[in-house]
Amino acid sequence: MKHNRWFQFFALLVMASMILTACATTATPTAAPTTAATEPPVVTEAPTQAQAPTAVPTEVPPTAVPAKNTIIIGTTDTIASLDPGDAYATRDWELIKNISAGLLRWKPGTVDLEPSLATDMGTISADGLTYTFTLKDGIKFGDGTPLDATMYAAQLNRLLTIGPSCPNDVADALAIPYVESITAPDAKTIVFKLKTTVSYFVQILATAPYTASDPKTFPADQCVLFPTAPIYGVGPWFVSQYTQKESIVLEPNPYYTGDLKPQADQIIIKDYADPQTMALAVQNGEIDVAWRFFSPEQLAPLKEVQGLTVGTVDGGSIRYLVVNHTFAPADDPNVYKALAAVIDRNEIADTVYGGNVTPLYSMVPPGFLGATEIFDTVYASPDIEAAKAFLAASGYTASNPLKIEMWYPPEHYGASTAAWMEVIKKQFEATGAVQVTLQAQEWSTYITNLTGGASYAVGVLGWFFDYPDSSNYLDPFVYNKGMGTNVSPSQEGTSYGVPINDKAKQLVDLLNQADTETDQAKRADIYKQAQEVYADLVVTLPLFMIAEHITYRSNISGSSAYASPETLNIGPNIEFYYSLISKTP
Amino acid sequence: MTPIGFVALIIGVPALILLGYVLITGSTGLRRYILTRIVLTLPMVIILGSLVFLVMRVVPGDPVQSALGPKGTPEMVQRIREQLGLNDPMIVQYGKFLVQMFTLRFGNSLIGGHRPIIDEMSERFPATLELITPASILALVLGIFGGAMAASHRKGAVDYVWRIYAVVIYSLPIFWLGLMLQLLFGVKLSWLPISGRIDPIIGTTLVHRTNIYTIDAIISGNWAALYSVLEHLILPTFTLGLILSGIFVRLTRINVIETLAMDYISAARARGIRERVLVYGHALKNALIPVITLIGLQVAILLAGAVLTETVFSWPGMGSYLVERISARDYTAVQSVIVVFALLVAMISLAVDVIYSLVDPRVRY
Repeated sequence: MKHNRWFQFFALLVMASMILTACATTATPTAAPTTAATEPPVVTEAPTQAQAPTAVPTEVPPTAVPAKNTIIIGTTDTIASLDPGDAYATRDWELIKNISAGLLRWKPGTVDLEPSLATDMGTISADGLTYTFTLKDGIKFGDGTPLDATMYAAQLNRLLTIGPSCPNDVADALAIPYVESITAPDAKTIVFKLKTTVSYFVQILATAPYTASDPKTFPADQCVLFPTAPIYGVGPWFVSQYTQKESIVLEPNPYYTGDLKPQADQIIIKDYADPQTMALAVQNGEIDVAWRFFSPEQLAPLKEVQGLTVGTVDGGSIRYLVVNHTFAPADDPNVYKALAAVIDRNEIADTVYGGNVTPLYSMVPPGFLGATEIFDTVYASPDIEAAKAFLAASGYTASNPLKIEMWYPPEHYGASTAAWMEVIKKQFEATGAVQVTLQAQEWSTYITNLTGGASYAVGVLGWFFDYPDSSNYLDPFVYNKGMGTNVSPSQEGTSYGVPINDKAKQLVDLLNQADTETDQAKRADIYKQAQEVYADLVVTLPLFMIAEHITYRSNISGSSAYASPETLNIGPNIEFYYSLISKTP
Repeated sequence: MTPIGFVALIIGVPALILLGYVLITGSTGLRRYILTRIVLTLPMVIILGSLVFLVMRVVPGDPVQSALGPKGTPEMVQRIREQLGLNDPMIVQYGKFLVQMFTLRFGNSLIGGHRPIIDEMSERFPATLELITPASILALVLGIFGGAMAASHRKGAVDYVWRIYAVVIYSLPIFWLGLMLQLLFGVKLSWLPISGRIDPIIGTTLVHRTNIYTIDAIISGNWAALYSVLEHLILPTFTLGLILSGIFVRLTRINVIETLAMDYISAARARGIRERVLVYGHALKNALIPVITLIGLQVAILLAGAVLTETVFSWPGMGSYLVERISARDYTAVQSVIVVFALLVAMISLAVDVIYSLVDPRVRY
């Protein structure tokens, strides 16, 4: 009897398994929302410039792996949005600019602008308010759909219509403040009407939000952050498969007619949760390229590995201290000037980063228009005597020390943050008139408090430019765009907030002037003046610039036709064009 | 059918069959016990979910500001909070949460593309299931075998080796063990892959039905993919499974030793039954009963271990999802994951109790 019961039980289980198997084999393959096997592009015309669309998984997938020249790129950077009308993060922009293209672009490996989808650099009206561009002929999406100016303008208008309601809201940063309208008077011409003269608008036009997007994937009335593959653009690649947090597969756009023709058959970008695992993966050959992010301490052993190249790109990522000008004791000019005078950036670079970061003496990094080393000029830091004098002027001495809290997120900017905050604490306390308390706070809480103007005196933040122009290293910090700074707190009805004092007013005026000045030499002069006022006010305290590192195996190479092949053609604009890399089998 | 539906079917159908079988054939006491446990699961999940709901909102930090970072202006933050209903009164938010929990829809994520949580789980849960299942099997097989072996060689070299193994392996940090295995078998020997669930190139040929890659590969007859998936499973499975095996070794050993001292074993030994048969054929069976209890208790530890294992091996499962979302203050995601974990633990505990009653007829509820 006992055996019979067990027999019944197992019989039931076997039956259930058979039912399951039957269901499974007859089920229609259903991909997860963001995981899709590719449908072949609908060919409306025979591709003329490239081979036919590559083979893709069908309902009964091939058991043999197709022999393709595939390059696997690893990254720990995450995707926040693939909708050009919404995306506002470095990795998002990198993918979008490989899938699609805009009217202008930065020449690979440089920060020089050149036409991309436009026939030339366009024309600007005498009042500087109207920009007109003509589209090149024969531009097509990866599924063969032609792009004309009407479609392009309609898609760009998403920035002005639904853009501000999208989660990442790039529109409020790069479109709404500048653009009045985007129109297409005919099928070849596209016209931007600006609200005010903006001297760097061509730079903004080269960013990912101004690339051409596919209306079938990105409709006019909806932000689509994680579209289902295939995702087509007019660039050299299209997304054939996309599995969130796992991998993204790119294949050549068979209709691409531009000059960045893919050298590989396939690019797979593999996501890593942990940079240490990514470092091991590039060592054992699981991935060909590792790009963003390795910390300097993870890079050191990789440099010793035979067959690996570690390329260094002097990027635009900076670290700085935010000074709360409305919260004691940091609201005292003598306090923030003492801090500016005491910091020894070289010590941070050498002791914490082994010389792998570059000391920064202005928010505008070297090489940008009008860049100076103003904090070095004004404060000649480290100058402990000057710092003591500033502190003494406010009555802070060894017997009556300044007590100040400095806040930082221990994980968001890497594990080294705690180490260099300790160095700053030690440097400030070397004046003998200061007691620093370091306060670590987890990122979510920290950023909410810091940008909300809560009770902090000094905090740490990082910045990476939206477009490589000096304005993007000054304006956001002065105009109170959520950076935790408050020299010109925002007020309804004002574009640039209300400056807290005359110096702040002067700074705001200078930046306004630079934003509308089209003569580059004059603009450079204005930025030099603005940096002087900025340093005097210590709106923020620039510390150092972090290079980006790309690690790749010996069979991977960049294109010698463009700048910086040693870093796989990634230049100071930190744009990585996958088309330019090739792999020797 | 969605992948999560498929997974629910795979777990749910056998579970329902087992439940049905026990309810039909079991004693009245057992039936009452099972029904009581099922009924009690409901308030447990509500209390747990409510606690998580409260704690997430008491902890400082804002999901919107956290996602936007320093580029998020106060206006942007307020607008998005309004869109997401984060400015609603707490009681309204709680009401919505309860409705979402009871309907198992879970609502939408507060970060990224504000995708339905059910879709995100659909991608992540199968990965965790694929990891913890073989890890549990490995832990059990190794633990039971090792424990029995140690007991049969009591106070001998083999016993000491297994005892030292159990203590050392259980005290090792998971991430350290994972890293060492990666370095040895991935980097030095190049025998095994060290990250991900499948070779990225072979992965392009895999059609996703359940998101449990081994099953997907078998269903579609993609043997190259199956090989790759199994290859990728080895290191994470061993990392998690070895750590958990330690406690099973110790528990099995002590129970087998106790059983071997019983009269019926002495009688069997006197009848000339071989020692191996005694240990593995007679003593081990009876010694396994407490081990089964421990399996239920280990589920929570297994899930906690999966969090670290998934991070070390870039395994996109529920553990790494939970860590990401806690950091980002994604209230709805965290609440949902905790509720699902609680349900899972409750279900497995119940299953263990049921199995216990089947294995040991002396057990009466």
